[in-house]
Amino acid sequence: MGYEELFPGMDMKWHANANKRFASPFVDVAHDRIDVDPIILSHAAVACGFTIRDFYEKPELGIHCVGYISQLYDLLPVTHWFYSLPWVRELGLTLQYKDTLPPISTGPIISEPGQVDNIHVPDVDELMKGYTLPEFIRIYEYVQKNLPMTLVPISYGFDLVGAAAELCGVENFIMWTFTEPEAAHKLVKKYTDTSVNGAIGLANRFGMAMLIVGSVLANNDIFSDEAVKEYSANYMKYYVDKAFRGGAGPQLFYHLCGNHQTDYKVFKDTLFWSPFNVIHIGYYGRDPFPSKLLKEEFGNRSTIMGSVDTKLMINPNPKIAYEQAKAQILAGRDSPKGYILGTSCETPPYTIPGNLLALVKAARDYGTYGTW
Amino acid sequence: MEIKIPNEVMELIGKRGIKEADVKDVIETAESSNKKIVMGNRNIAKKLIGQATVYVDYELEKGLVRKHATVKSAYSHRLMLGDIVNATDKSDWVCAHCNEPAMYGHVAMTYMQVTRNGPAVVCPKCRDSWVEEYLATKTLAAVEGLFEKKRA
Ligand SMILES: [Zn+2]
Repeated sequence: MGYEELFPGMDMKWHANANKRFASPFVDVAHDRIDVDPIILSHAAVACGFTIRDFYEKPELGIHCVGYISQLYDLLPVTHWFYSLPWVRELGLTLQYKDTLPPISTGPIISEPGQVDNIHVPDVDELMKGYTLPEFIRIYEYVQKNLPMTLVPISYGFDLVGAAAELCGVENFIMWTFTEPEAAHKLVKKYTDTSVNGAIGLANRFGMAMLIVGSVLANNDIFSDEAVKEYSANYMKYYVDKAFRGGAGPQLFYHLCGNHQTDYKVFKDTLFWSPFNVIHIGYYGRDPFPSKLLKEEFGNRSTIMGSVDTKLMINPNPKIAYEQAKAQILAGRDSPKGYILGTSCETPPYTIPGNLLALVKAARDYGTYGTW
Repeated sequence: MEIKIPNEVMELIGKRGIKEADVKDVIETAESSNKKIVMGNRNIAKKLIGQATVYVDYELEKGLVRKHATVKSAYSHRLMLGDIVNATDKSDWVCAHCNEPAMYGHVAMTYMQVTRNGPAVVCPKCRDSWVEEYLATKTLAAVEGLFEKKRA
């Protein structure tokens, strides 16, 4: 039995409407309201009665849960599935599945800067025989067959600095940025080149590949603005430029997770912007990144995605979630290239449904196009 | 001006719906106005023809009497290029008109009344901009398709 037999078919009336809503910020056609994208991952599995481990260990089940549960909350009509460590197994790490977490690395790590030179960057053909690319191809083939109306093949470059740092251990990496900057750069470049080849492999198979790439470990809690530019923003640009040259894109999602209180300024004139672009920032210090500032800095460059603090999603108080969602929508909804309401990062696995409803209710109450 | 279009290039541009006359028009306009980007003896010129901006990538050699142009490729896009958004990195191209280095950056791109930003080679001095072949034939072609689908 395939996982598709566990779910009723898609409500196509819902899908048609959600699809128009989804298109609206990108092509200036106002539909009913601002979209809400709480970046649902394993919460979708939990909400369907499965476990967090099931979500990661059984990607086809995981992505079907995302497609199915999006109808309940009236979210985006597209499916996605990912975890934070794509392309690292191809570079020598082993991943271990956990009951309550996405897969984590169990090493082996390299501990000497000189070992970076020994890391081989797999080409597209080699990646086809690896783990990540066959997994992405498998889930999108599953979606193509069972949920074709939700298909957007996504290549997940994700956190270029954070994933590269896993190869030598995060603490070593941070130290290397001070003591062995050449090795630190080489490591990020090798991870990035692997990730580029993965995006090209997915584009070869599906004729396109949306790119998601972020700056997560590289944030102001750990790095200076200059280091965020040098180790993160510059490689994000390199990643997108090179992946586009290989036929990936044109959709592009920049996810700046964590605290970007001052380093947000390095991205505007460093990143590579596509006509189908979203930029999302999680935090400003300990607070969710203000949509007003997001709009001022990036509103003319891209569609922007504002944040409700993910911590509020597991706080049993839908009113507080509603008020924060309302404030962010009011501040960002008239952004010139469109606004989407999100959460600071992936909504937690045990997100309280009442809080997700609060975000959607705020979008219905304050995000109706043309009424402001 | 003698313009040579090798057979394989003829076949490629035919598939792209570009006519031989358009190619000659683009080159002759560029050579008379000197509006193009140049890298060594390689040139990229563009011209708005109908709804499309047609580009020709060609090599130029000085002959005894007149110049010879050999066409390497031609391509087009329907998005209209607008103002320069930024210019961030130096490119190896030179704006022939200004005799200044051209930069990598972004320009406003408009299609079906929607304006967004996209990457381009730009000249900060005369504010002209050019799209390279890989972007026009892959990224921007996909963008045009998405706009058509999503605006429908
Ligand atoms: Zn110029």
